[in-house]
Amino acid sequence: MGKRMGKRGIMEFKDYYAVLGLERGATQDEIKRAYRKLARKYHPDVSKEPDAEARFKEVGEANKVLKNPETRAAYDRMGSQWKAGQDFQPPPNWDAGFEFSGRDADAGNSAEFSEFFEALFGRRPGHTQTHSHPHGMHAPGQDHHAKVLIDLQDAYRGAQRSISLQMPVLDAAGRLAAQERTLNVNIPKGVREGQHLRLAGQGGPGLGEGPAGNLYLEIAFRPNPRFRVDGRDVYFDLPVAPWEAALGASITAPTPEDTVQLTIPPGSAAGRRLRLKGKGIPGKPPGDLYAVLAIALPPADTEAAREAYLVMQRDFNFNPRAHLEG
Amino acid sequence: MHETITTYLRGQVVEEELHLTLTELCQACGMAEEHVTTWVFEGVLEPFGQLPQDWQFSGPSLRRARLALRLARDLEINPAGVALALDLLDQITELRTRLGRSGKS
Repeated sequence: MGKRMGKRGIMEFKDYYAVLGLERGATQDEIKRAYRKLARKYHPDVSKEPDAEARFKEVGEANKVLKNPETRAAYDRMGSQWKAGQDFQPPPNWDAGFEFSGRDADAGNSAEFSEFFEALFGRRPGHTQTHSHPHGMHAPGQDHHAKVLIDLQDAYRGAQRSISLQMPVLDAAGRLAAQERTLNVNIPKGVREGQHLRLAGQGGPGLGEGPAGNLYLEIAFRPNPRFRVDGRDVYFDLPVAPWEAALGASITAPTPEDTVQLTIPPGSAAGRRLRLKGKGIPGKPPGDLYAVLAIALPPADTEAAREAYLVMQRDFNFNPRAHLEG
Repeated sequence: MHETITTYLRGQVVEEELHLTLTELCQACGMAEEHVTTWVFEGVLEPFGQLPQDWQFSGPSLRRARLALRLARDLEINPAGVALALDLLDQITELRTRLGRSGKS
């Protein structure tokens, strides 16, 4: 059963003016300006705000309703006593006398709308195929896109994934419905963030005898707390003790696959990069893995530790700011 | 007892294994040929080949074209603005990568 609520369902009220940071009396120009500014701020391709995508959708939905004087008037008619987040139920016949369907020219944006929006303004058809194809016409199906989240380790080893996709399909009455289907997909070894896998014939169905479209899966990596990826190269911070950096050491370090024995050369400074050739993401040629040295300072929290630092202070005659003088 | 055998689909990595024609790129992005043509003339996309019917777009063009499409549509940016935005985004990516290389925080 779908999650969608009927027209009499209860949902949270959305204050579209507050979303755009506007008062109810805002002019159409103010709405446009506020929307443009926030759309640039939260556009998922541009923004690094953590909740950019959700905010962008919210701002888009608010703009959708308020930029059009008809939908704005209908929304305003529900009154200003509602507060964002309140349980809301559309009043009976709230939309009598308004006609919204098929008004929008800027479709193609298959954004999802909130339950609140859908209850009031209906589900927007998005970019559906036209329904009025004469019999005997053949055309290829639409290409579809989806995103797949994988771990860095999956790129090292390859993986098999089952992916659930929501496919828009037209039901018998010509209405748009979401159909879920599961695809089992091989994630090839060596795949990188942002690359696309093309699955031929797994997109939208063709028209008549036209071939089915393709499905493109965009690869995204789950954020990894330890490793950073640059193309095929992988970086990680490797903490070392001051004496390991100064005297050299042989230590065990993690890699995305297992661990490796690493030699720290004597006299290593913080920020020094040690390259593990070919230990990056596999490929032709494979990437490299880099350990970026970070010198960790042991705390002076015992008498012995303080004594050790004092000995260093006496014996080293070391001025770390010598180069700032003179 | 039934024994189910799951088969796993094998895809092609667009960026490494494929070149796209103008028609394929338009189909993949769900956009009109004139959009792509405009972006080629703005230097957003750089296909091989002289005439549009000979154009071959490298695999990474797919990501770039989709990004250009989203920016143009969502932010109502004109083609020259899209070209500028993409160049700046490339620079930001490059700078972020450089930060990552030298250790973060």
